[in-house]
Amino acid sequence: MSFLKFILKNPFRRKNSAILAIFGICIGIIVIVALGGITSGLVSTFEDTIHAGGADFSISGKETGNSAYGTNTISANWTNIIANVSGVEEVYPIYVVLTSIGDDYMNTLIGINPNGTSMADLGIVEGRIFTDNASEVIIGKVYAKDKNLSVGDSIKIKGENFKVVGIYETGNSNMAGAVFTSITKVGDLMDDKDSISNLYVKVKKGEDPKTVADRIDKLYGENITTVSSVMEMQQMATMLNSLQAASWGISLLAIVVGGLGIINTMLMSVFERTREIGVLKAVGWSNRKILTMIVGESLVITILSAIIGSVIGVAACLLLCPMIGLTPVFNVETFVQAFGIAIIVGIIGGLYPASKAVKLPPTEALRYE
Amino acid sequence: MSNIVEINNLVKSYENGHIKALNGIDLTIEEGEFVSIIGPSGSGKSTLLNMLGALDSPDSGSINVAGYDLSSSKDLNKFRAQKIGFVFQLHNLIPNLSVVENVEIPMFTSKMSNSEMRSKALTLLEGVGLKEKASQKPSKLSGGERQRVAIARALANNPSVILADEPTGSLDSKTSSKILKQLIDLHKKENVTLIIVTHDMNVAKLADRVIEVLDGKLVNAGDKSLENKIVVE
Repeated sequence: MSFLKFILKNPFRRKNSAILAIFGICIGIIVIVALGGITSGLVSTFEDTIHAGGADFSISGKETGNSAYGTNTISANWTNIIANVSGVEEVYPIYVVLTSIGDDYMNTLIGINPNGTSMADLGIVEGRIFTDNASEVIIGKVYAKDKNLSVGDSIKIKGENFKVVGIYETGNSNMAGAVFTSITKVGDLMDDKDSISNLYVKVKKGEDPKTVADRIDKLYGENITTVSSVMEMQQMATMLNSLQAASWGISLLAIVVGGLGIINTMLMSVFERTREIGVLKAVGWSNRKILTMIVGESLVITILSAIIGSVIGVAACLLLCPMIGLTPVFNVETFVQAFGIAIIVGIIGGLYPASKAVKLPPTEALRYE
Repeated sequence: MSNIVEINNLVKSYENGHIKALNGIDLTIEEGEFVSIIGPSGSGKSTLLNMLGALDSPDSGSINVAGYDLSSSKDLNKFRAQKIGFVFQLHNLIPNLSVVENVEIPMFTSKMSNSEMRSKALTLLEGVGLKEKASQKPSKLSGGERQRVAIARALANNPSVILADEPTGSLDSKTSSKILKQLIDLHKKENVTLIIVTHDMNVAKLADRVIEVLDGKLVNAGDKSLENKIVVE
């Protein structure tokens, strides 16, 4: 038997007490993991909207407010103007219109340059991208499922037949049910080649998107607005900071509550095993070894709690978050935080009972009834 | 033969000196000797045994066991791990471990591998006739069997001295005889010094030498026979 196996066996001698301690710490871990998943999910949604997929930010006309793509338009000339601003790498105009598509009296048709689809965060899962100025469309996976459409089918847009050449997936829920074609074709359909809805802007490598957006706001702020404006970023950052602060607050609470629970469990365990600790001293175990044993037992309980709590936290989030329209995102940092707290609680909770055990004179420990 | 225990003017008191548990003990024990320590309750015999096993420290005097000066040595854990094997009145086995795992416990202080530990523990259990019960929990064993496991555990690190505090105190007479026979056989076979604290005169008289402690002092430290001596309690 190894020393590790000995440590793993001991915590479950008092099953009820160990289960209670695990339950207490689990609650803290569940909250940390669930809140982490929700926060990351919100960050992801926020980034989808603000950064407009692969773009760093988007530009719209003043009157369109903060909408990522409203139906109000700005002049197509803005494409060249923005492309010449220092720090800008690429600019892709999009033209969003509401028109009759298939049997829908009104749905969203989005025109974009075929090379710019990555800017809109579109990933082709079947078929291909439409070609410029052709009567071809790509449709969202959700839309395709709803309308029972597949690659090769035809769809009528504003009375004109279009061929479905591809199906895309996107992390942006606003675009999942839309139809995309080339911006030239949308201009033809709307008989308006001089208007666009938004511009997707990607900055040069090494440039700070916020600095470039500020630059554009300073130059042309009277006519256009960058969607990822500083204020909006700050508002979102404040909200995320609050969530993160709440997460750390709960973590701190988990440390205190879980720590007290584990101290109680381990103290009981040490008292009940006083005579046994005396024997371990009598057979030559050093104080350090006894301390390692008790802290190790405490860590077994808290790490097990972290594993169970993480599984329940993830499961609860996956089950409940879709009900409020949120997709939770779990990243490594969340689990590092959960396990880090479990380990801290394990060490703190184990040290005090361990120090009690170490201080026990062997003769007294052996006499303990 | 050389002395494995040398004690000079050993003093130990409790409660700020009001209770003198040991009051100037002088004693030598030869290597390989079997000694029993007798005396009434509170006479200081268990305190003396605790001093011999470095479980307690003296107030004054010197105590040297198996080459360790216990009144000044700092590495008492190593001394207990390597030189001493304890057998207590109660077996003190760890209930959630199997019999063989209990015997392995002292070996955690050595540098043996897990397989070496297992092999040695099984050999020791074979020596006390319990190899076939190696995987059982202590609760499945009789009182005598548990004490035999405790003896195997005491021998785990090849000690120079076995200190037994009332090893048969909680056993019936038939089981007591078996346990004593086992201890004495091991003492003879391994040439281990055996020091037993007991109330039982039948146990005491089996020893090579009987030491009587009374009020913290040795009243008899060298006689080989109990004739015309000691009436305990």
